[in-house]
Amino acid sequence: MFLRTKNIKLSPIKQMELLAAKIPDVVSLAQGIPSFDTPDVVKKAAIKALNRGVVAKYSLTYGLPELRETIEQKLAESEMYYDFEKEIIATAGSIEAITASLISIINSKKDEVILFSPSYASYCEAIKVAAGRPIFVNLIEADGWRIDFKNLARRINNRTAAIIICNPNNPTGTIFPKEDLLKIAELAWKRKIFIICDEVYKNFIYDNEVTFFSLAQIPQLRKIVIRVFSLSKIYAMTGWRIGFLHSDEENVSEIVKVHDSLVTCSPVISQYAAISALDFADKEIEEFRQKYQERRDLICRHLDDLPEFFSYQKPQGAYFIFPKIIQYKEVRPPMEVEPPKIKSASWRFAIDLLKKARVAVVPGLAFGPSGEGHIRMSFGRSEKDINEAMRRIKEYFNE
Amino acid sequence: MNNFFKKIVQFILKWFAKVYLWRIKPHIIVIAGTTGRHWIKEAVKEALEEKNFLVRVNKKNFNAEIGLPLSILDLASGEGSFWRWLDILWQAVKKAFRSKPPVLKEFLVLEMAIDHPDNMNYLLSIVKPQTVILTTITMIYQENFENLDEIANEYQKLIKVLSWNGLVILNFDDERIKNLTKFSNNKIITYGFKEGADFWVKEVKKLIDGQELKLQINYSKNKEIRSLKINRFGNHHIYAALAKEVIKESFKISAPDFFRQIRG
Repeated sequence: MFLRTKNIKLSPIKQMELLAAKIPDVVSLAQGIPSFDTPDVVKKAAIKALNRGVVAKYSLTYGLPELRETIEQKLAESEMYYDFEKEIIATAGSIEAITASLISIINSKKDEVILFSPSYASYCEAIKVAAGRPIFVNLIEADGWRIDFKNLARRINNRTAAIIICNPNNPTGTIFPKEDLLKIAELAWKRKIFIICDEVYKNFIYDNEVTFFSLAQIPQLRKIVIRVFSLSKIYAMTGWRIGFLHSDEENVSEIVKVHDSLVTCSPVISQYAAISALDFADKEIEEFRQKYQERRDLICRHLDDLPEFFSYQKPQGAYFIFPKIIQYKEVRPPMEVEPPKIKSASWRFAIDLLKKARVAVVPGLAFGPSGEGHIRMSFGRSEKDINEAMRRIKEYFNE
Repeated sequence: MNNFFKKIVQFILKWFAKVYLWRIKPHIIVIAGTTGRHWIKEAVKEALEEKNFLVRVNKKNFNAEIGLPLSILDLASGEGSFWRWLDILWQAVKKAFRSKPPVLKEFLVLEMAIDHPDNMNYLLSIVKPQTVILTTITMIYQENFENLDEIANEYQKLIKVLSWNGLVILNFDDERIKNLTKFSNNKIITYGFKEGADFWVKEVKKLIDGQELKLQINYSKNKEIRSLKINRFGNHHIYAALAKEVIKESFKISAPDFFRQIRG
């Protein structure tokens, strides 16, 4: 029974949230949910569509043509040229786009998918859902969480189906430079490997000198690059479950079959909301970005007060910080909450912090083996939450 | 903005837009159809700019009851702010009565969107185009229309308001659009993939970085073959490229305008 799913785990982020839910008065910096509400202009568009009576039926599997046309226009602004009719699919968030892509790519001969460690926790499970094998390649912390290319080259073999890149990276906030991305592309090109580029945080970049580059901007790579984007984080629309993917027609025509069998189409009301978001919410994105930048600086200042307990690299993008735990107190059983079965140091620390300080963070191991010894904290939460969580953490260490 | 205030704003903007058009008299090119308007609009703009004309196009999605007059007057939206709308109305007064006609002929390229049978009458009560470009009539934007023929009837109105020297540019591949030729006494130029179009795409080759097309122009006395390369994918970009060629062929800068430009 359940042979296929027995090795698939509920995301550790969700596990932490579930544990946190059992404890009263917890401040959560665990889940990457923006503290903001969806912009008014987006909500109004959804209400208008609802009142017009156009949201009750399925859309085309690819998504509403109006939405895909808008996506094409938006992509063209970033020098990414894709045909809205055949090369863009509106998906139920980015994870559905990633899973559908993996299911269409992975087969019995090519079942290995390379992902960087640390990177987004759900990739690993999505690969398993698609009957693939996750292969981790470490990012080098001492080098600003950049890619270990020697290790990457060693891990690529005839069974490699794809490489997943999260850029800006969750949880480290690293923005991979163009030269590194092109090196990955070169390796993938030679071995006919797909590259799945997850760029859901690409609008949250805090350093002016950093230029964001996407492999989807290179037309010659369109047959191997599948770019995934979600409106969840950028437009504060996590609950709307709307995103999209784009690639060459040849790839998209295969992925759409999986998308169709998984969800038929993405939620139609969310598709109408997405049109408005893409067209009219640029001002709000910039406001969010500025706020996150302030919050990044705020959480960094707090961590600066705890130099004997944490070291960290200032994130360039996204809204997560991934500090290394230098020292911490061991957990004192018995626990009131049931800890997960994985007993890593970062798990123990996260559980202890949850129990004693009532602060939820995500253990670094959730993001891959090299994430061990770290925790992920989201500064997508409000200043009030960040200040309170950090006050409690300081108290925890000073006890 | 509540509905009452919206109606007032809509009414005032409509009249200021009409005053502006009456005073400035730009050459108005309207692009209508259920899909592909945006790309055609961009292509038309490029074509006219290449010919050194002054061109203004409507901003993103400013193509319906309030957006169209705002586009004509070159104003932003007040969105949900009452005070901003008041300011916009004041600016509209200034635009309508104080704008001076440009030295060179100005082209106003407007996308027109309809989602209801009455929309076209309203939009035409503001704008009388000199050139109409029609893209497609497909089921995807059907919304409040009974059927696609009802949408075609709306576009018929657009063609009928053209003056004797107006120009109609039609997508030859769309049967309903093609059939509109019988309602026009104006000069008609067609474009498309089907043989018989004045600007006919004979061949398309998909490249790694775009599309290459061989175009046969049957419009002039001598048939002419042209090769074009575009860095975009999809048929809608081919249609846009065709529209661009049609515009380049149809509008040449006049000698007085040319010399005015040289003199600066």
